Order: sequence, then structure tokens, then C-alpha cells
Amino acid sequence: MSYEKCCRTQAVVVHGLATLLSHYRRHPGQLAMLLLGLWVASALWSGVQAINASARDSYARAEALFTTGLDRLERRDGQALTLNDYLRLRRAGLPVSPLLEGHLEAPDGTRLTVIGIDPFTLPGDSPFATAGSTGELTDFLTPPWQTRLAPDTLTALGVMDRRARGAGPRLADGRRLPPLVLAPSLPPDTLVMDIAAAAVLLDSGERLSRMVAAPDSLAEAPEGLVLTRAATLVSPGQLTESFHLNLTAMALLALVVGLFIVQAALGLALEQRLAMLRTLRALGVSGRSLVGLLTLELLLLGLVGALAGIVSGVWLARLLLPDVAATLGSLYGAGVTAELNLPWHYWVGGVAVTLGGLFLAGAGVLWRAARLSVLGLGQSQAWRAGFRRQLRFMRLAGALVALAGLALWAWLARQPPGEGLLAGFGLMAALLLASALWLSPLLAALLAGLEKLAHRRPLTQWALADLQLQLPRLSLAMMALLIALSANLGVSSMVGGFRLTFLDWLDQRLVADLYLRPPAERFEEIDAWLAERAEVAERLPTRRTEATLLEVEREGLTRELALPTSLYGITPGKALMPSWPLLATLAGREAAWQAFREGEAFINEQLAISEGLAPGDRLILGAPQGREGVTVAAVYPDYGNTRGEVLLATPQLTSRFGAPPGSIGIVLTAGTDDAALGQALTRRFGLGGDSLVDQREVKRIATGIFERTFTITRALSALTLGVAALALLASLLAQARERRRRLAPLWALGVPRAQLIGVQLGQLGGAAFVTGALAIPLGIVLALGLVEVINVAAFGWRLPLFLFPEEILLTLATAVAVALLATALPAITLWRTPPRALLAEEANS
Amino acid sequence: MNVTKRVATILVLLWVAGCEGERSDSGPGEPAGFAGLGEEAGDFAQAHAGIELRFPEDHGAHPDYRIEWWYLTANLEDEQGEPLGVQWTLFRQAVTPPEARPEPTPWAADQLWMAHMAVSRGETHRVAERFARSHSADERNDRGGQAGVQAQPFQAWIDDWQLASRVEAPEADTFERLTLTSHHADEQGGFGYDLRLAADGPLVRHGENGFSQKSADGQGSMYYSQPFWHIEGSVTLDGETRAVSGRGWLDREWSSQLLGPEQRGWDWFSLHLADGHKLMAFQLRGGGEDGGDYRSGSWITPRGDATALAPDELRMTPLDTREATGREVPIRWRLEVPRVDLDLIVEAPHAERWMDTSVPYWEGEVIAFDPASGEALGEGYLEMTGY
Amino acid sequence: MLEFRQVHKTYATPQGPLTVLGGIDLRLGAGESLALMGESGSGKSTLLHLAAGLDRPDAGEVEVAGKVISSLNDPARARLRRETLGLVFQQFHLVPSLNVRDNLRLQARLARRDDIEWAGHLIERLGLAGLETRYPEQLSGGQQQRLAIGRALAPRPALLLADEPTGNLDETSAGEVLSLLLALVSEAGSALLVVTHSPQVAAPLDRCLRLTHGQLVPAYTREKA
Repeated sequence: MSYEKCCRTQAVVVHGLATLLSHYRRHPGQLAMLLLGLWVASALWSGVQAINASARDSYARAEALFTTGLDRLERRDGQALTLNDYLRLRRAGLPVSPLLEGHLEAPDGTRLTVIGIDPFTLPGDSPFATAGSTGELTDFLTPPWQTRLAPDTLTALGVMDRRARGAGPRLADGRRLPPLVLAPSLPPDTLVMDIAAAAVLLDSGERLSRMVAAPDSLAEAPEGLVLTRAATLVSPGQLTESFHLNLTAMALLALVVGLFIVQAALGLALEQRLAMLRTLRALGVSGRSLVGLLTLELLLLGLVGALAGIVSGVWLARLLLPDVAATLGSLYGAGVTAELNLPWHYWVGGVAVTLGGLFLAGAGVLWRAARLSVLGLGQSQAWRAGFRRQLRFMRLAGALVALAGLALWAWLARQPPGEGLLAGFGLMAALLLASALWLSPLLAALLAGLEKLAHRRPLTQWALADLQLQLPRLSLAMMALLIALSANLGVSSMVGGFRLTFLDWLDQRLVADLYLRPPAERFEEIDAWLAERAEVAERLPTRRTEATLLEVEREGLTRELALPTSLYGITPGKALMPSWPLLATLAGREAAWQAFREGEAFINEQLAISEGLAPGDRLILGAPQGREGVTVAAVYPDYGNTRGEVLLATPQLTSRFGAPPGSIGIVLTAGTDDAALGQALTRRFGLGGDSLVDQREVKRIATGIFERTFTITRALSALTLGVAALALLASLLAQARERRRRLAPLWALGVPRAQLIGVQLGQLGGAAFVTGALAIPLGIVLALGLVEVINVAAFGWRLPLFLFPEEILLTLATAVAVALLATALPAITLWRTPPRALLAEEANS
Repeated sequence: MNVTKRVATILVLLWVAGCEGERSDSGPGEPAGFAGLGEEAGDFAQAHAGIELRFPEDHGAHPDYRIEWWYLTANLEDEQGEPLGVQWTLFRQAVTPPEARPEPTPWAADQLWMAHMAVSRGETHRVAERFARSHSADERNDRGGQAGVQAQPFQAWIDDWQLASRVEAPEADTFERLTLTSHHADEQGGFGYDLRLAADGPLVRHGENGFSQKSADGQGSMYYSQPFWHIEGSVTLDGETRAVSGRGWLDREWSSQLLGPEQRGWDWFSLHLADGHKLMAFQLRGGGEDGGDYRSGSWITPRGDATALAPDELRMTPLDTREATGREVPIRWRLEVPRVDLDLIVEAPHAERWMDTSVPYWEGEVIAFDPASGEALGEGYLEMTGY
Repeated sequence: MLEFRQVHKTYATPQGPLTVLGGIDLRLGAGESLALMGESGSGKSTLLHLAAGLDRPDAGEVEVAGKVISSLNDPARARLRRETLGLVFQQFHLVPSLNVRDNLRLQARLARRDDIEWAGHLIERLGLAGLETRYPEQLSGGQQQRLAIGRALAPRPALLLADEPTGNLDETSAGEVLSLLLALVSEAGSALLVVTHSPQVAAPLDRCLRLTHGQLVPAYTREKA
């Protein structure tokens, strides 16, 4: 490029851009609206992405920890392994490594996981070296030993200085930890130290938590031990994938709604600058340069909006992360740090998504600018035809999206159950988008029809006609409102329905008054003692073990599997059987329980859905003595479980699968005091506080977990609704001047201002009411999709659909309130504008 | 082999870390001597001339000294006469001086153990490595810790690898007849050996009645050998088991500072000569008079009488180098002991004997022949460190 | 019909207060027509706005159809405008969302005085027949102004106020529109106040006053034929 040409280009860019941007000096409201849209869209999106990124980082660290990815050995009888067991196996040549795991309380109450390892025998592929290669091994192995931990664990220990190497902070009980060494790749709230140091801290003597071995290095489990292959353990990343997909979907929704605002603002800014653009063209700026200048403008605005959005997003994520972390921890047992940990690609990705969305929203504007005719002939008359064209396009696009949705639905219907989470979200998105696209044509048709009816009421007729004229501007905001409202309704129906079902289910499952988890070696003794007590009406011992589901036989067809499955043993007693919920049986509850007592199995809904099983099918399970076959007698709901489960009578589980002793549910005779029995148990056997839980406590904890699960979803859906309200407000504010110009002649014709304001409120309120009314069926369909498709795919269980009339009314009221609120501000301006100013605007126009 | 690679980093650190704060002048962070064996002894017991060796007690571990090993090499052949090499070594390292030992709580350790085993045949060379910990005050040391050495009846073990006496009568010399059992599973089908060892001669004390000086300024170790093993048994290589027989050499050595800080490595020979003589010869590179190499050795008669060879009585000249696992190592040597009129070419038939263990070194079979006639004069093992 | 009594109006400007109307007295009887001339910025539009109740005087009274409009509240003034007055603006100010027919009848219907026959007559006379279902932006400038006149006359207002009714038109159509306006005003029996700077527009009217320095000066008076 020659120097001269360079200078010419520079002049065009600088002066052209300055001219374009001067518009915003005259109309700062439009600039504010544009940036607001970008800001909220980017903030919600990047907030959720920050949460996801942080959680993924935590999973990656958890998965990188040496305890994951290794085969594990535990004693079959449930008792603790000891140092001697370890030595015996090592001397027999088995490549096992001892592991000690326990919990300590930090001064701030955080539960810290202590992992004691033996670096000499820990299998090779585990990245111990990366977990702590900074220190020297002698220091790790010899007193005062070392505590390796991630930097984000320091706060819990009250250590502020990250370089505080060598500090040995105190625990809640006053004891000191070995000196600290930072190892950033460790999971949060996890302390890794030599097994000797851990044994002292945990006061575990020669006991071990388990032994680990390199994957598949052991051909079979040594005598008396249970071998759990690493391959059968699901990683937290896999487990929580659906949860994060859920969050991402909500964030995407917010992003789309935010971009609606942006599009509206850009459209307005272009329309009002058409004359200016034409002048620029006439003054010798080429069409291509003009598009380039507009692109540059978009880029500038986009960067400002994206950066502001990301900063707020990070703030939002900080606010939400503790809840997310708690949810993930309680739902999936996945440890997620409550501190944000953002990789570089998060920042780049956030800006890229915002800019991408902005250009998507601005594509129409750029297209129109590119085709701008210099003379602008017929421009003023084109809008009515333009709007008709737009409505036609919306109808067509809506139909196409709906078709795509139908196709997805048809595809989903033929998928195996429990699959297609992504497609499920796609279906929901198609549904929302198609409805949004059809909203404007529908409103236009409705208004045209009403206008005919309102022939005798001139002001009403005018209001209806005028509203049609506003529709092109309002339609995007109304679409945003529709989407946000129906998403809100769908989500709250699902959450509400879930709570009802879950509480009900909890009541049915928790029939015992007390739940006791005795130490394995005293199980028999305590059980015998309980049997003697008069106040104990029934004992319901449970057991748990793992097995591999080898084969399923369905309708005469045998299918081979290698599915790790948990086995759960319950006692089919008088207290339990009547209330235990069953979803499907072969020949009624009576027969199902009869079969169950005789050794057949129940399976949970998750297993039934994932493997397509039904009562009557046969399962072959791997047992210590070989293969064990059971028939499925019933399917039961099992909310909150992420895995498939096979339910057997406890004695069956003990004799056929060698399950270790678990807990005992104690049903008391009517009128006995559970506290008294608790005290007696504690006195007699010295049981610790956490081995005895009463039913109320279990319910409280379980309910707490599920309340938290949906906090985030609800917070996000409320935020989305807020964004939609902003979109509406922004659209109305942007055209407030023009509105006043339209109203002035009416006023001059003798319509009082109060009436004019009333008409305006009526117009918007009415439109919002219709939108809200449309959102109701859409929200119900959405809720149906969430419980029937998304829930099944994500969690493996189906929920009954509950509808809450008060929620529906609230949705409708919210829609109208949002619209009235958004109208109020321009209306107040109108009210306060002196008539002369109205006329002045009129004269200036 | 991943296990080895991983712990390698750790163990190098460990070997190096010995005693912090007592580093010699070899510069901060730089291990003194090969693998830190040149660290100052500090509060550990010191090897010196005049210490009387006592058996069977000295077959056992000496936890007050920093380092110690039980080191067996064997030149074997199968029934077709194909030569095979076998190595088995148990290393002991004390991580704290005797007075700084931790309380003997469960898992607490003051002794770390490392074992290497290798089988070689032709170009094939298989290596495995094991680690363990123990506490010298743990009662299990006698009866079943993960690793340990017991003097009477003799037993040295780590996990299921062990070198143990076959002598039933406890009052007899249990060191005379031993069994060596070690197996390692790998992707190639596994390797290992079950060998019976019988001593055809007496124990040999090196240096000054068992004190072997290692540098001109007096550093050294307690060092004796059993070079007269006759061995029979079986060796498994890549899943294939062969009956074997041959000769073996066992070294026992303990010290708290084996090398001088300037010594960077050694070349060490153990040779079974055709006429029944044995030769042990080593040179420590650096640390000799005027910074030269420090040489020493023993000339052993077929009856087991040893003559210590002074530094100037040995000439060791590398003649040719070869690449082994990426390192240039001298695999052809000229060995001259004018005092007994010995002049040998010692050569490794296969250069690929690099021990890619946590402390890496070269260890392999060699043959000896006459420089003039090329007549075969013996066989043995060569160990080279610090390359 | 319309009476100004000692009406004062002063505007605050950056250069200090500007007295636009300094004690104006004016009377316009039923069916009378009056042209009000003056330089631009002389305050003639202000006077018109005061007559229409779009603005309030600082002092003095404005009476329209027997009601002191300057003391009425906003709804009452709106009602008076709706039922008694017709307004024709230079800028037409048609309602873009309504077609020609609905625009024309809008004020009449707001005032509940919709007379279909009269409206049809107006459309006919204004040359808008056949364009009833068109929208304002689909009309020419002259057609738009004629429609604006029709809208103002549709409720048969007692008083028609016109602000430069031909200001946006070329000379030929201006003449046409003006004669049409006068004819229809007399058909409707309305009094007429036209604000204009054009002598051609003022000429056919009964009286003509000139507004200078806040005072009204008679330009000429013509006795009705």
C-alpha cells in the first residue's frame, strides 16, 4: 500500500468512524442500551462458563490424584485392612500400595481430606511426581514430614502467605500439620502426606483405608478381599457432565436474550443513521468502506461490552460458585473448589462468544448497510412492506425450526432410553425458538383482527393500529420475554414437581425411626442386643456391595454386559413393605414382595431406563462364588442416585454376594422415645455420634441437598427474566422520542394526556399479557420436556409432571408487570413533558 | 517400566538428600560424588581401618551406616552353552542418623530399601526395581517387614524377591549355601530366576582386612566378597525358562561416605580367571593423588588368599566406547597388574546393559582374553557409574 | 367564538426574556375568518397554540366558545379541543397507523360526532375518493394536507385553527388547497383563524391582523359579501 493510499484510508477510517459514532453522542440512550445488552449477555454467559471452567479444573485435579485410576482392594467383611495385611500381600509378590484416607477439621470448619501414601509402592502411572515433585523425598518421608496441598486450600487453614513454605498450621483441635508444600495440581481441600504422618494425625494405628494397585495388575482379588477395578469407578467429570450441560443451556438462553437487546439497539441505531449513511456515501465513502466502518464500530462496542461482561461474569460466578460447589459435592461427591480458577482460554472464549453473538446480531445491519442505495428512493414508504416481509420470514423460519424440532423429536423417540441429553436440549431450544419466531406474526394477526372489531371505538382502534406499527421494534423484546417467561415457568414447574415427588418418596423410603451404623466387628453383637429390647418393634438391617452385571435376558434374548452395579440389601419387613414405592411390577405389589422375599430382585429406575429392563427380565450378576441369576420383580424410584442399583433382601445379599454388614434401621414401638434408645446404645456400646442418625436428620440433610441442586437453575432463570425485562425497557426507551412525536398530534386533536398514557400502558400491557398467555402452554410443554426428556437423559429418572396454578398466574402477572414497568418510565417522561415541548419536538421533527 | 521411571526422579533426590546442611564444598544442589555417595558422613557411623569383621553378624544390616548393599552377579550358561548374565542387588539407605531416628510409629521409617534385578542374554537385557521402607527399631525386621536382611540364618528380601540360606541347621554357617528367587512380571512375559548358590571357597576381605580405601584422603568402606559361588537353577526370560549353571560373585559393602566429594563415578571389575584366580579391581574417577583417578583391587588365589593391590599396582585403560541407551560407555579395557604379571583385554560382548533404574548405571557381563594371542582367559562382570 | 383579553406571553431565552405577546386583545365571531400575519418568530404560532389550549398565557384570558380555555384543566381543554376546535398543521401530522378514511374520521369519532355522510362528502370534495384505504405515507404532499384539513373539519368544529396550511405545498396546489379550505369552512359554518406569512393566503379572508413586537395591528378589514 502506497503512502498516499494509506493516508486516504486513514482519513476515511478516522473521520468516517467519528461521524458514525457522533450519532451516539446525540443518542446516548441507544449506546447505553447496546452496551447494556452486550454486558448482560456476556456477563451471564461468562459467569456460567467461569463456574464450569472452575469445576472442570477441580475434576481434572481430582482425576489426576493418584487415588483415582487405580484398582482398589478392601476387605470383604467390611473390616479395616492393616499393615500386616499389606505386608502379607507384598511378601506374596502382589504389587499393592497402602493408602490411608481420613478427614480432619480445619480451624474454619472446612472438612479436609487427608491422604496418606507410600511413595515407594504407589503405582507408576499415578502422577505423584507432579503432585509433589518440588520437595525432596527425605523431607516427605521423615519427621516433621510434609503436607502437600493446593494453594486454594490455604485459606481454610488460615494461611494467607502463599509462599509460606514450611509453616505447620494448626487444625481445629489445636494439633499441628506437617510443614506445607504447595502442589497446585492437587484437588481442593485435600492434604497429601506420607502414610506415617497421616497415621499419626488420624490416629489410625496400623489400620489402612484400602490398598491400591495399578489397573489390572492383579488378576483376581486375593482371598477375603474385594477388588474394585478403576475402570468401573465413574469419574466426577462424567457424572457431572449433565449438570454442566444444564448450566450451559441456561447461560446460552441468557446470551440469546441479551443479544435480542443488542439486535434491537443496532437496528434502531442503523435506521436513525440511514440519512447519515447516505450522506457519507454521497460524500464519497464506498459501500465497502461503510460496511468496514460499521464492523469496526461493532468491534469497538463489542470489546467494551465483552470486557465489562466478563468482569461482571466473574463476579457473578464468585457469588454462585459456593452453591454450585455445595451441590456438586452433595450430589455427586465431586469436590469443587469454591475459589475461581480460570484458565486463559476462558478469557479468550468469553470475548469470542460475545463478539460472535454481536456480529450475528449485527449481520442484518451490515447487510442493509451494504445494500444501501445512495438516493434512498422510496425508503420512507418501504417500512410497511418491509414489516410484512419480516413477518413472512419469521413465519417461515419458525416453521423450519419447528420442523427441525419435530425431526429431533422423532430421532429422540428412537434412541435408547437415557440417551440424547444434547438432542433433548436441542429440542427444547427448537421449541422456544419456533415459538418466539411465531410470536410476532401471531400478535400482528391478533391486532389486525381486533382492530376490525374495535371499529366503534376510535381510540382503541388507533391504539391497536399503532401497536401494529410498533411491533417491528417491540417484537424482539417480546420474543425475549416469551422465552424467558416460558423457561422460567418450565423450570419452576420441574423444580416444584421434583420437590413434591422427592419429599413424598423420602417419606416412603425412610420408615425407621433411627438409623444405626455399627462398626462391622460389633454388628452381630449390637443386632442381638437390639433384638432383645422391648421398645424395638422391628430391625431393618441393610447391606451394600458391588457386583458386575454380566448378562440380561429379556424376552428370551440374552445380552452380555459388563456393567458395574451396586447391590443394596433391605429387609422386607412389616414396616417397610407397605410404603416402599414401586413404579412397575409384574403381578402387583403383593406378588412382587413375595418374589423379593424368595430371592428375586428389584431394580431402580435408572437401571431399568439405561438397560431397557422391565419386571420379568432376568439378570446375571458376578458373585464371589460365580454367577448369580435373579429375576426382576419390580422397578422402584431412586431419586438422587446416579447409578443403576439392584435391590435384594439383606439375607440374600449376605449369603449370595458376601456383602459386608451395613446399617440397621430401627422401628420403635409406638410411643417410645428414640432419644432414650440412642443414649442406651451409646452407653452400652460407646458408639460415636455419627453412627446413629434419626430419621428427621436424614430428611433434613436430603432435602437440603436437593434444595441446593436447583438454587442455581432458579437463580439463572430469574436472571434471564430480568434480562428480558431490560430488553423490553431498552426497546421502549429507545423509541420514546418517536413515540412522543406520534402522540403529540393526538394530544393536539384533544385526547387528554392521562388517556394517552393509559392507552400506552394498555397497549404494552395487552401485548405482554398475550405473550404471557402464550408462555403458559409453552412453559408447560417445556416442563414436560424437562421431566420426560432432559431429566431422564441427565439423571436417569422420570418425574411426574406437576403444574402449579399459582406459578402460572405469577408468570402472567410477571409478564404484565414487566411490561407496565417498562412502559412506566417513558410514560412518566411523557407525563412530565410540558405540552409546549411536545409541540416543539413536533415542529422540529 | 513406568514404575521405574517415576520413582527414578524421587530416588535420585533421596540418594542425594542424605543430610541437608552438611553438604560439602561441591556447590549447592550438586550431589557430591556419584548418586550422593560422596556426602559427608555426619552423625553416621564411620568405616575405618581396624574394624574387625565378624560373621555371621556382618552378613546382616548395619543401620547406623548410611549405605549398604548385597550385590550378586553371575555368569551362567544354559544347557546349549549359551551365556546368560544375572544380577541381583539389595541396597539399604539410612535416611536419618541413628540419634535422629523417628519414633517407631506405624509406617515411620529410617531405612529405605531399593532392589535391582537384571537378566541378560545376547542383546536382551531386562531390569526391574523395587522399593520399600522399614524402621530399624521395628520388631518385624526379623520376621516379615517388607524388606530387610537377617544375619542368622541368612535372609535378605524385598517383597517376594529374596536371597536366603538353604542350610537347615541354624548353628552351621548358613551363608555357605543360598537360594536366590526373584521374578518380575512384564509385558514380554516376565523374567526372573530360581538359583541355588553353593560357596566353593572362603569369604574374601578386601583392602586392609576388610576396610577398602576409596580415595587418597582416606574415605572408604567395609568391603568383603564371596567370589566362589557355584550356581545351578533356572532363569526365565520373556516367559521362557531355561536350566542354567555357572559362577557367581557376591559383594558386601557398607559405608557412610563411600566416595570423596570430587569422585564422579567408578569402573569396577570382578573377574573369574580360567586358572582359578579371581580379580577385583576398580578405579574411582577423580579423588586420587593430584586429582587423578584412584585405583584399588584384590588379587585372589584359587584358595581364597587375597592380596590388596595398591593404586600404582593397577593400570586400567579404556580402549573403545560404545553407545548404550544414549550414553557413551567404555566397553573395551586393558587391565594390567604387573606385580602378578597380568595383562588382559576385558570386553563386554554386548553394550546394551544400561540399567535404566532410578540411579542409572551400566552393569554387564564381560570376557577377558590375552592381548597378544586372543586366548580366552576368563569372564566376569563390569560395573560403570557416572557416565 | 374566540376572544383574547390582555393576553401576555413571555419566553425565557438565553438572551433574556422575550415578550412575544404583550397584552393582546382579539375577537373572532362565529363564522368569521381572520388571517394573522407576521414575521417568523413574531409569536403568531404562539397565539394559535394559546387559542387551541395547547399552551397557557402568562397573563390575560383566552375564551373559546364561551369558555375561558386558559383557566381549564388539561382534560377539559382536551375535550374542548376535541369537540369545538379543528387544527390544521403545516406538518400535516397524520396518524401513520391509520388509513385515509380512519385518519379523516379520527377526531370526529373521538368527539363522538362522526357523520358518515359529511365525511364522505369531505373525501369527495378533497379529492381523496378512491384513496380511502391508503396510508398517509402513500399520499402526495397535497393529498396529505387535504386529508389533514378533512380531519380537522370532520367534526364540524366551531373554530378551525390553521397554521401555515399551505406552507409545505407548491404554489399551484397551495391555491387549490386554500380555496378548498375556505369553501369547506363556510360549508361547515366554522369560524377560521389562519396563521400565515403569505399575503396570498391572507387575502381572501374577512380580516387580517399583523403581529409585530407583541402587538396586533390591523392590516385590513373586508366586509363580508
